[in-house]
Amino acid sequence: MKGLILKDLLNLKSTFKMLGVMMVFFAVVFLPQGNGFIFGMIILMFAMMVVTTISYDDLAKWDAYALTMPVTRKEMVLSKYLVMVILNTLGAVLSLAVGIVGSIIMGKSFDLEILAIVGVIYLVALIFGSVIIPLIYKFGTEKARLLLVLCALIPTALILLVEQLGVSLPTIGNPWIYLIALIGFSVVGVVLSYLISVKIYSEKEF
Amino acid sequence: MINAIEIKNLNKNYQDFQLKDVSFKVPKGSIVGFIGENGAGKTTTIKAMLNLVKRDGGTIELLGMDTLTDEKKIKESVGVVMDGCNFHDNLKTGDISKMLASIYKNWNAQLFQHYLKEFKLPENKIIKEFSRGMKMKLQIAVALSHEPKLLILDEATSGLDPIVREEILDVFMEFIQDEEHSILISSHITSDLDKIADYIVFIHQGEILLDEEKETLLSQMGVLKCSEEDFRKLESNEYIRYRKNQFSFEVLVKEKAAIRKKYPEAVIDGITIEEIMLFYVRGQK
Repeated sequence: MKGLILKDLLNLKSTFKMLGVMMVFFAVVFLPQGNGFIFGMIILMFAMMVVTTISYDDLAKWDAYALTMPVTRKEMVLSKYLVMVILNTLGAVLSLAVGIVGSIIMGKSFDLEILAIVGVIYLVALIFGSVIIPLIYKFGTEKARLLLVLCALIPTALILLVEQLGVSLPTIGNPWIYLIALIGFSVVGVVLSYLISVKIYSEKEF
Repeated sequence: MINAIEIKNLNKNYQDFQLKDVSFKVPKGSIVGFIGENGAGKTTTIKAMLNLVKRDGGTIELLGMDTLTDEKKIKESVGVVMDGCNFHDNLKTGDISKMLASIYKNWNAQLFQHYLKEFKLPENKIIKEFSRGMKMKLQIAVALSHEPKLLILDEATSGLDPIVREEILDVFMEFIQDEEHSILISSHITSDLDKIADYIVFIHQGEILLDEEKETLLSQMGVLKCSEEDFRKLESNEYIRYRKNQFSFEVLVKEKAAIRKKYPEAVIDGITIEEIMLFYVRGQK
């Protein structure tokens, strides 16, 4: 299984380089404006990469071949989830690093708000991955991308609708409750998503 | 263990295609050529052997172990080459070695290097820049480098020039020198099998039509060329298939020696695997 993860990271080598250049560019442009947008950018760019690894696998018809090796279907799926977690974590660490270096250069003290933003986006990215991986296993990368857009549109539309109707959301004073709920939600999401993916993948014929 | 592969009554149903009670063996120490036209069921059979598709019935043993219960153990000792290159475009041979070292317990990096040298595969190029011949040679080098006991090759030589094909066949011959080793090679380039196969298994529309030692086939079967009148004299159990062309009949006979004895003046030619295939698929009963 280590080999499978290694394969994905080796495949992304050139993508990493390109991303590095982009990161520096965005950092130079957005950090001076004090724009938190860059942190989300970095994490989401890394989160999207798990989809890239799956399209690479499709191109090479890798899965059918890998399953002729001593690798179980469960391990194939688990390795993808681990790659996702590794990539997201890498993205989060890098955006924190950008935040810290940025604060030092700008001569400000490190704002705890950055940590909160990065943490929340990290969890959202995990949920995003948990939605798309089973979709890809079921429908293939191309259709899954479209479905993901739908998945993003529906909640957005709901939120807009709620706002339009003027329903007031219950306010809870303590932000920690939101954070703990979000952490719980992502953990449950990832585990559930993994189980669904294993189910879909074990039924698959190549 | 006497058989490296033993398939019994394998069934697989698709909407428009079925494997019907496919059974055959690959005796240990031998090369079995698995032939049939495109879509005859070769790849489906191989995929069922490797659990890439679910079967609807039958048992499959590889290296004396059941493929459903001992899958992982079996796959440590089986090398598979499929039609095409399955490694990602941006990898180099060194990356592949690193990655497979943590997938196979007995990955032999030195052996892999040895094959790369023998096949003259460059270490500093990415696979995207490899030619088709180089890609297939890479796949074969990989299949051999975890010291497998059984090689399963699905159209591994198709689309390659005669020189590369021969180079590859030589490697297979070297591999089979060890009596513990066996090869199942599916191909529609039957001349390759004329050279190396010990047994021929012929599949047509999902059914095994023929399963025989190659030497027996080639020494016993023959093509009788005769007029329609002479053809009518043959008993139905003396021939397998016939083909009518403009001026004469070509008849695939089971025992050319017996026919020769019976009709001393008859013209009977020897046969190749390709002709046997053509007779079975295009000839009439």
